[in-house]
Amino acid sequence: MSAQTTTPVGAAASPAASPAARPGAGRTGRWLALASRHRVALTLAFLVVFPWIAPYQALAANILVLGLYALGFNLLFGYTGLLSFGHAAFLGGGAYGSGIAIVHYGLHPVLALVAGTLLATLIAVAMGALAIRTRGIYFAMTTLALSMCVYYAFYQAESFTGGENGLRGINVPSLSLPGFRLDLLNPTVKYYAVLAVVGLAVWLFSRLLSSPFGAALEAIRENENRAQACGYDVRRMKLVAFVISGALCGLAGALQAIHLSIVPIETMHYSTSGQAVMMALLGGMGTFFGPFVGAATFSLLQDGLTTLTSHWQLFVGAIFIAFVLFLPLGIWGEVLARLRRAGW
Amino acid sequence: MTGFDRRGLLRGGAAASALALAAPALLRNAAAQGKPIRIGFPVPLTGAFGAEANDQVRAAQLAIKAFNEAGGFEGRQAELLVRDDKLNPGEAATRTLELIEKDQVNFLVGGLSAAVTLSINNVARERGVIYNSITQSDAINEAKDFGRTTFHEALNPHMTAGAVGRHVFPKFGKRVAFLSADYAYGHEMMRGFKRAGEASGIQVVADIRHPIGASDYSAFLPRIAALKPDVLCLCNFGRDQVVSIQQATEFGLKRTTKLVAPVLLFTSRKAGGEAFDGVIGGTSYYWRLEDTVPTAKAFNDRFRAAYNGAVPSDYGALGYAGVRSVLEAVKAAKSVETDKVVAAMEGLKADFYKGPQSFRKCDHQSIQSVLVVESKSKDMKTPDDVFTIVGTEGPDERFLRSCDELGHKA
Repeated sequence: MSAQTTTPVGAAASPAASPAARPGAGRTGRWLALASRHRVALTLAFLVVFPWIAPYQALAANILVLGLYALGFNLLFGYTGLLSFGHAAFLGGGAYGSGIAIVHYGLHPVLALVAGTLLATLIAVAMGALAIRTRGIYFAMTTLALSMCVYYAFYQAESFTGGENGLRGINVPSLSLPGFRLDLLNPTVKYYAVLAVVGLAVWLFSRLLSSPFGAALEAIRENENRAQACGYDVRRMKLVAFVISGALCGLAGALQAIHLSIVPIETMHYSTSGQAVMMALLGGMGTFFGPFVGAATFSLLQDGLTTLTSHWQLFVGAIFIAFVLFLPLGIWGEVLARLRRAGW
Repeated sequence: MTGFDRRGLLRGGAAASALALAAPALLRNAAAQGKPIRIGFPVPLTGAFGAEANDQVRAAQLAIKAFNEAGGFEGRQAELLVRDDKLNPGEAATRTLELIEKDQVNFLVGGLSAAVTLSINNVARERGVIYNSITQSDAINEAKDFGRTTFHEALNPHMTAGAVGRHVFPKFGKRVAFLSADYAYGHEMMRGFKRAGEASGIQVVADIRHPIGASDYSAFLPRIAALKPDVLCLCNFGRDQVVSIQQATEFGLKRTTKLVAPVLLFTSRKAGGEAFDGVIGGTSYYWRLEDTVPTAKAFNDRFRAAYNGAVPSDYGALGYAGVRSVLEAVKAAKSVETDKVVAAMEGLKADFYKGPQSFRKCDHQSIQSVLVVESKSKDMKTPDDVFTIVGTEGPDERFLRSCDELGHKA
């Protein structure tokens, strides 16, 4: 599994190395190298024109948020090699954090985003400290169990979270920033406001991956013992990756709360954690752009099929199985692999 | 080339893009006349309440059809835009945004489950779009969730449980046990029962909560059976209700105790079968109302004619009433403008399908009758004849929580 994913990751992480090594794939290699050097710009360029492709803007904004959620998850899953089943706790923590900040404390939306991200980060520190001691399937089960603890805590804290009814009233009709004012009731403006934040997160994420820390994470994924032998404090690095991943997902949650103006308790449910795994696999784990491809495919498929038939779940299920069978690298992972093989 | 510098280009570009952004809005206003009146209808077509939701759609279509056959409003026809909210509040919020922003609906009707209806309501009230909710919820009446465009066509737990309690407690006894699903709806129903019980001085012998979606009640039922209460109130819904009533029947609880549910759904009863025999509960509508109420007869006949002799369910009828209220208000207001339609809905004196109804001014709750029905499986006129109407509590504001209590300032 890890050997297959190294190819796209390697190209993304060390752009200059691969083309020189393989003379046959020179031109493609150069193009891919160029593309991966400007991966943030290309990702954002796509997201800027995305509302024209999507069926409606609210869905486009959903995809942005879910893309960021899958991106954060992918840091842990695709780049560090840890499969967590508890990321809904971070998405939900971010959503409730910013929602509560606005509803109960009347904070400015930007501060609320910070508050949501902070709450998710705190939850990630606590969960990570406990879960990081385990590996493999035990790690997945521990994160799942801990996230359900968080779920019940938020479910029961009805006076803060609204419990079963969900948190309502996160109404941010406009955003006043120094110098200008954004009308967030205009769906186009709202999309680009969300994109501005997502863009910042994507840029930070890219910087992180190209840093020595990012390389060390991939080293841990490839061979934990060897990474340890090289002198890396593996446990601490895993924890830091876990927390950063949680913070990114928390930011996604905070954006979602402001976008939808509500936080349903379902945000924290373990099925939402499964959704992150699904989207990362669908798009291509360990690829930079894959999570957005996964989020878009996931949402567009559901949205399109729901309007066509009430048996949409049957078709979505069949399509997902087909993806897993025929595109094990994910959609974007497969595209990258094909380009590299084709050599143009 | 001096006139074509970078600055000028930017300025021109900005103006052009501003025009491009504004153009659709301008065109839209021009084309508003003669366009159909669009009503967004988000309901959970898939999920646990799919059967109820599909019945709501069928009934709502009848209201649309009748409106259009009568010539519409100033030549404008009505149109129903059905969306599947999958019983998920987040999906419902997204779909509501789609309906408002992309489809430019004039009104919204729909929702099934409290969390979903509150979510639709929050999105709609922020954008000043009239939303007529057709599912049970107490929270939607409260000042915190209420908006000037919020309307509640359905009963709320307080009214429903209250009516059932006032009917049952004097008749069957004062020793009452509660078995409630541990979430907002269960708590609201229980609060309604307890309030109604204060008047007749009930004594609560057990107050047991079960997790929502429980499939095994054998841990709770023997405890309740040992207490031999006169009445057992099952404050749960849907599948939970069917399963808990079936298991209570198997435990022989019915020999000593009257089983009472706040809401008896037509669809649940049909799924649950004979286990429901003798269970008493409340409902907003039951098709046998046609024996006494002429508008119910007319509504049933239309429904039967359109759908191969089937009768409308309680929640289905709410879909009809929800859409019809809005369309009648449009006719009365002679406008589709939000402010005028809100005023018209506040003044509406309706008898659409179950007798007189009107919206209370402070919280826009529909004041209407509550039926108390008892389930049966003998002496049935047709296979759909599953209830006997044993009591009716007429439309009266004193059965609602006061505007003050809900936080509405006078």
